[in-house]
Amino acid sequence: MNAPVTPPRPVALGQSHVSAGNALELRGITKMFGALAAISDVTLSVRPGERRAVLGSNGAGKTTLFNCITGDFLPTTGLIRFFGEDVTTFPPHERIRRGLRRTYQISSLFAGLSVIDNVYLACRGVSRNRFSLIRPRRDDALVHAAETLVEAVHLTAEKDRLVGELAYGQQRQLEIALALSGAPRFILFDEPAAGLSPTERRDLVSILTTLPTHIGYIIIEHDMDVALRVVESVTMMHNGRIFKEGRPEEIEDDPEVQELYLGGGHE
Amino acid sequence: MAMTDQAPRFVNRADQKLWFERIPAPWWALAVVLVFLPVVANSFWLFQVMGWTFILGMIGLSLMFLAGYGGMVSLLQMTVAGVAGYMVAILGTSGTVTVSLGLVWWIVIPAAFLIAALFATISGALAVRTEGIYTIMITLAIAAAFFYFTRQNYTIFNGYSGFNLVLPPQLFGVNWREPVPFYYLSLVLAALSYGAVVYVSRSPFGLALQGVRDNPRRMAALGFNVTAHRVAAYALASVFASAGGILLVWQNAQIAPGTIGMSAAIDVLVVAVVGGMRRPLGPFIGAFIYVLLQVFSPDILGFFGFSAERFKLIIGLGFLAVVLFSPDGVLGLWDRWRARRRQQGGQAGGGVA
Amino acid sequence: MDDIIKRNPLRSLIIAILIAVFLWLVFAPWPPELVAKWGRKQIFLNALLGGITLGALYFLVAAGFTLIFGLMRVVNLAHGSLFLLGGYLGYEISSLTGSWFIAFPVVFLVVGLLGLLMQRFIFSKMEGEELRQTLVSIGISIVLADLMLWLWGGQSYSILAPGFLTGPMELPIINSINASTGATNWLRYPAVRVWILIAAIVIGVAMWLVLNRTALGMLIRAGVDDREMLAASGVRIQLVFLAVFGFGAGLAGMAGIIGGTFQSLSPGEDTRFLLASLVVVIVGGMGSIVGAAIGSLIIGVTEQMGFVYAPTYSVVFTFLIMAAVLAFRPQGLLGARR
Repeated sequence: MNAPVTPPRPVALGQSHVSAGNALELRGITKMFGALAAISDVTLSVRPGERRAVLGSNGAGKTTLFNCITGDFLPTTGLIRFFGEDVTTFPPHERIRRGLRRTYQISSLFAGLSVIDNVYLACRGVSRNRFSLIRPRRDDALVHAAETLVEAVHLTAEKDRLVGELAYGQQRQLEIALALSGAPRFILFDEPAAGLSPTERRDLVSILTTLPTHIGYIIIEHDMDVALRVVESVTMMHNGRIFKEGRPEEIEDDPEVQELYLGGGHE
Repeated sequence: MAMTDQAPRFVNRADQKLWFERIPAPWWALAVVLVFLPVVANSFWLFQVMGWTFILGMIGLSLMFLAGYGGMVSLLQMTVAGVAGYMVAILGTSGTVTVSLGLVWWIVIPAAFLIAALFATISGALAVRTEGIYTIMITLAIAAAFFYFTRQNYTIFNGYSGFNLVLPPQLFGVNWREPVPFYYLSLVLAALSYGAVVYVSRSPFGLALQGVRDNPRRMAALGFNVTAHRVAAYALASVFASAGGILLVWQNAQIAPGTIGMSAAIDVLVVAVVGGMRRPLGPFIGAFIYVLLQVFSPDILGFFGFSAERFKLIIGLGFLAVVLFSPDGVLGLWDRWRARRRQQGGQAGGGVA
Repeated sequence: MDDIIKRNPLRSLIIAILIAVFLWLVFAPWPPELVAKWGRKQIFLNALLGGITLGALYFLVAAGFTLIFGLMRVVNLAHGSLFLLGGYLGYEISSLTGSWFIAFPVVFLVVGLLGLLMQRFIFSKMEGEELRQTLVSIGISIVLADLMLWLWGGQSYSILAPGFLTGPMELPIINSINASTGATNWLRYPAVRVWILIAAIVIGVAMWLVLNRTALGMLIRAGVDDREMLAASGVRIQLVFLAVFGFGAGLAGMAGIIGGTFQSLSPGEDTRFLLASLVVVIVGGMGSIVGAAIGSLIIGVTEQMGFVYAPTYSVVFTFLIMAAVLAFRPQGLLGARR
């Protein structure tokens, strides 16, 4: 049932998948809210195609880190490179057009539009003719891409329903479809499993593990069963700082981690 | 008041039909009635009632486009219509020969559309600097500023008295102010505007606009320039308002600051809200109700022993009733009635549509 | 203050020079060249003072509007109707009782009560639905406007001020110096306007003190900043809302008496004052009393100056100020970015 996702072919952007160095590189990122440092001096690099989990208790600064990477917040200090390009001060839509994607912890969709329209918009966002007044034809490449993505997240049966009417788990799946639209090169998943049933979690794992291999991602996730099964490396954060990096097995067995994180009062 | 749209979705391959097969029967019936109305209706109904309904409906439609699809409730649409109307009077011919330039119609009309679009774009760019409920306040303030300006300025807008004897061009030897030609002219323009809004709502731009309405932050995160989309929506909506505004000048044969005053701006909102701002048909229904009330209220009020001036009281109370009890307007009532009937009809299927 | 000057030496200098020039224009006798260029000093002073007193009146209307918006997020577009209703009621009461003063408390109570009823039975029922509340307030304003037209007709009314307030009073500002005798000619200005200005300042300062120095004020300001927090803290927020709505409405009503005294009351004044309030709060910043004061002053003075020196374009100046604020500081001069 899980055919590997064929990513919709890039529409507009010139593709330079072969890029020397890292997909994402953070150098000394600090974000202050007033006098409070939400994250301090985070340095992190992720290779193209690498899949990494960022773990840590609530308030460790994980979502703030995502917001800095996507450009929702400008970091107070530090440097962000995306496939070698300095994007530190770019507005969000410029980063998106370069192949960065994210999902949101709380579903952030278009409730008044249908499932297929949601995905279509996401595909449209990184293509040309965003202001076109001409309706897409049925054989339009983007319509086709959107339909493929809807299928990839197992929502074909619901594609004409309004998103506001979908069940919670289905909305989470749609979040992922939106993140896969266009030609993503790197995705940030913000707690994709939160609130999902065990069946839906299995579905999620299968979606994540069958992503095309050139797409790397960072996942924030509290459910270790999900997180450690879909990544090859783990970064632990605590109080806004990175305190450990390693492979999933190492992290799982690390006594310090177990004390700090697994005992550390998360849900 | 959630303004969700119920536009048709992508059509399945299974039910691919020719375009005219997809139009439901009631629409054909409505089209037949409208096309053959001049056979039975007198000129008062054609010119005053229906002509005015189409005009008010088109201006309301431009508000519906901004509010229903873009989530921006603009009180500026009557002003945009007024700018187009004023331009027809100023650039074309009118009784005020000292001001009017007397250019030919094929320059005047495109120029009127362009200048109105420019006005709408600049005002829109100001209005979208803030969000939500501020839009109403800012657009109301801009509308008021333009109203007072036309009243004070005599060199361009001829001040308080405005322009009279503004007549449509005698194209094809037809006097377009005659009831039947004017009826068909306004019918065709209204139908075109309606069709354009329905069509655009499914275009990339229209979908993006609805995306901006539902979740502007996410739209930015998908790579859309939200501000540009909002401003472009003001520009596009100006086309429908301008068409209505030009027809309005021709219908009244005059334009003055009173045409674009505050109460006129509010009337457009009343029309759109009463009809329903979720769908393009709403403003036309609202306009029809409004015009009927306006035209027949003297008789009704007289019957109950009130003065004909109390028309505004009826409008105000009716508007309050709609906002308080059916925020989606008359179309919302109709939807609910149909949903209930469907539920009663097919009791086995418990799903609420 | 010192900090600001040190950080922006150039800007501070320019502002200081502008203030000095302004003070000189107001207090010094004008040299003939300036008179030749700008007209008599008295025209300038009258426009300026007229603008300030108009600003005072705008402030009384806009203060309630901005407070209601700041706290409850209700854009009450019926606020202008409350102003006009207050004016008409004030006219009736003062001509019935023969006392100008008695009209104020009565109108404050009656119009305030109307505001309370609107909040209690209408706006509180649709909390959070901003658009619907605004639409309802538009409906109310249409109905009120027509009821007032029904009761008071289309003619205009003026409220007579009590004897000791009529006539001019001398202000310590030099109007001109008689060239031959050398006698100083002091500026004479209608007393009622001066008293209105003083009253507006007193009310403004009192509101500021209540907001900044009392427990109730703390509650209201906390509510403006974070409504959820206030609601969660167990305060009976609905009572605070009622109090603010009633006070704002009553203030608009009293402003109606003042407006009827130094200008006149007629249909259409409701929209005029509603729009003035809108522009004032857009310029000054939503929810800020000090912002409303500054906005009122700017708009009042601009309007009068424009009216005197460029009558056909006076609206344009007001509008340009609003547009400039929206373009460069959309939250208003003193508004908090939300």
